[in-house]
Amino acid sequence: MRILGIDLGSREVKVVLMEDEKIIKMFKVSTMSFYRDYCNFDGKIVVDLQKLSIKDVDIAISTGYGRNNTDLRKFEPINEIKAHVYGAIYQSGLKDFILLDVGGQDVKIVKVEKGIISDLELNDKCAASCGRYLENMANVLEVSLDELFKHYKDPVELNSTCAVFSESELIGKIAEGVNLESLCSSVNFSLYKRLKPLLTRFKGRKLVLSGGVARNSALIKYLSADYDEVISLDYPQFNGAIGCCYYGRIRSKKE
Amino acid sequence: MKTIGITTTVPIEVLLAAGYRVIDLNNLFITSEDYGKYIEIAERDGFPKSSCAWIKGIYGAVLENEITEVIGVIEGDCSNTKVLIEVLKQKGIKVYPFSYPHSHSLSDVKKAIKDFMSLFGVYETQVELIRKRLNDIRKIAKRIDELTYIEGKVNGFENHLYQVSLSDFNGNIDEFEEMLLKKLHEIEKRSPVMRKVRLGYIGVPPMTGDLYEFVEKFDSHIIYNEVQREFAFPRAENAKDIYEQYYDYTYPYDIGFRLEKIKEEIKKRKIDGIIHYTQAFCYRAIEDIIIKKELDVPVLNIEGDKLNHLDARTKFRIEAFLDMLSDLKGC
Ligand code: SF4
Repeated sequence: MRILGIDLGSREVKVVLMEDEKIIKMFKVSTMSFYRDYCNFDGKIVVDLQKLSIKDVDIAISTGYGRNNTDLRKFEPINEIKAHVYGAIYQSGLKDFILLDVGGQDVKIVKVEKGIISDLELNDKCAASCGRYLENMANVLEVSLDELFKHYKDPVELNSTCAVFSESELIGKIAEGVNLESLCSSVNFSLYKRLKPLLTRFKGRKLVLSGGVARNSALIKYLSADYDEVISLDYPQFNGAIGCCYYGRIRSKKE
Repeated sequence: MKTIGITTTVPIEVLLAAGYRVIDLNNLFITSEDYGKYIEIAERDGFPKSSCAWIKGIYGAVLENEITEVIGVIEGDCSNTKVLIEVLKQKGIKVYPFSYPHSHSLSDVKKAIKDFMSLFGVYETQVELIRKRLNDIRKIAKRIDELTYIEGKVNGFENHLYQVSLSDFNGNIDEFEEMLLKKLHEIEKRSPVMRKVRLGYIGVPPMTGDLYEFVEKFDSHIIYNEVQREFAFPRAENAKDIYEQYYDYTYPYDIGFRLEKIKEEIKKRKIDGIIHYTQAFCYRAIEDIIIKKELDVPVLNIEGDKLNHLDARTKFRIEAFLDMLSDLKGC
């Protein structure tokens, strides 16, 4: 049984192929090139699997930001939150946890109990609490994201609640002569502070991180104070696509 | 006929034997168009924001409907009732306390009911006669319950309504029986509607009655209403007397006994998931910890406050929960 999962993100499209419950292929292409080079349009979007060098697919499931653009022909679209939860269950082997997914443009927090969603919170209105904020700030500091993610010590306060104002606040701090490590820590810490109120309703023991920030070790450090265990998924960026495959597997078993 | 209000199900047989018309104040509150106003009245009279809507609603309902006598269940239900009846007393309302002993021993239950009988000056034989009469009506309610989970002819809201109404028989047993029988005949003729996900509802009856209809949008239905069903005493026939009947009542005693019965029903009714409703500011919300641990089906805890319909966030949570339950059941 070969199951294909595709997660249509705003900037990248993630593709995962699973065979007999194992991931056998995993790659991503830019959203632009996915639609341009690998899809045709015929009333509905048709994915050219040959061009993606994928063969013999039994079930295809898609998910993505917003339901509309997940509607690919011959694919069953599923809701994005569910896809991420299934991905986290597959990757972590857990059934009870809190999932924090900080994507480029949104934040999702989901409580999972007995393998089923029991609570959730979405934030897709505020740029200051998502991945894009970190990218912008890294740009201002002229460091790579990997570099930015390393620093957690001695943060100074960045008080602005808004991503745009934070930028000028950060520039102010640079001008004051705060050192680069500290500036990096400050950016990470400010993200943590914005996530914290969202997480208050989601107290629990295990926090699973997915999305781009799962690589952010500074954030993990801060969050570790609030949970017994903070777990980063192995393939945080592929989590949604993996979840599609996992869902396909449940479906095929029940049929 | 004298009217008496009750704050939850009590041995109604005693009150009927004493010649009262009995009104469940909860029903009076929640079915009223003025439900919001009742809460208002209580808050204006000084009830804190942080007390549950049921307590405030009952208070408002008593005053607005000019109820002059009230039974307050001060043990086994809500400790807030203790002070509620004290406030009512100060307002000139005649109040009587009733307790379901936490020990849940037959002898303590017996003592409580005997005291209750002497409070109203009635004898066991009178009470037993009424109990028999009521048990005939309870049988009809039980049949309606079966038509819900076995035959799929009754929807979740109706099930809730016809079980919960047995706490006071809508204030008139004869009329109520007639109405229930009519309903039963109508229901028997219906064609069954089976939905994919079978849900159980546990906890106090909801402030948010639209829950039943809402879950149906996702091919799910509530086929078990725990506390409402207890109000209807589905096992009354097996009890040899009133003491046994109220001893076998799950809701007011320890949670262990309650859970035993819930587990039986989950199995018998093949329930896929549970919605556990709790009221904002109610101690019962803490019970959720035990419930989730003890039950091996998924449990969603939802909380109601002052609104009599589901808020957007709760709807969203229910939808996600049902969506995944449905995946587990197969597409
Ligand atoms: S919901 Fe809880 S707090 Fe409110 S009346 Fe019932 S038991 Fe008391």
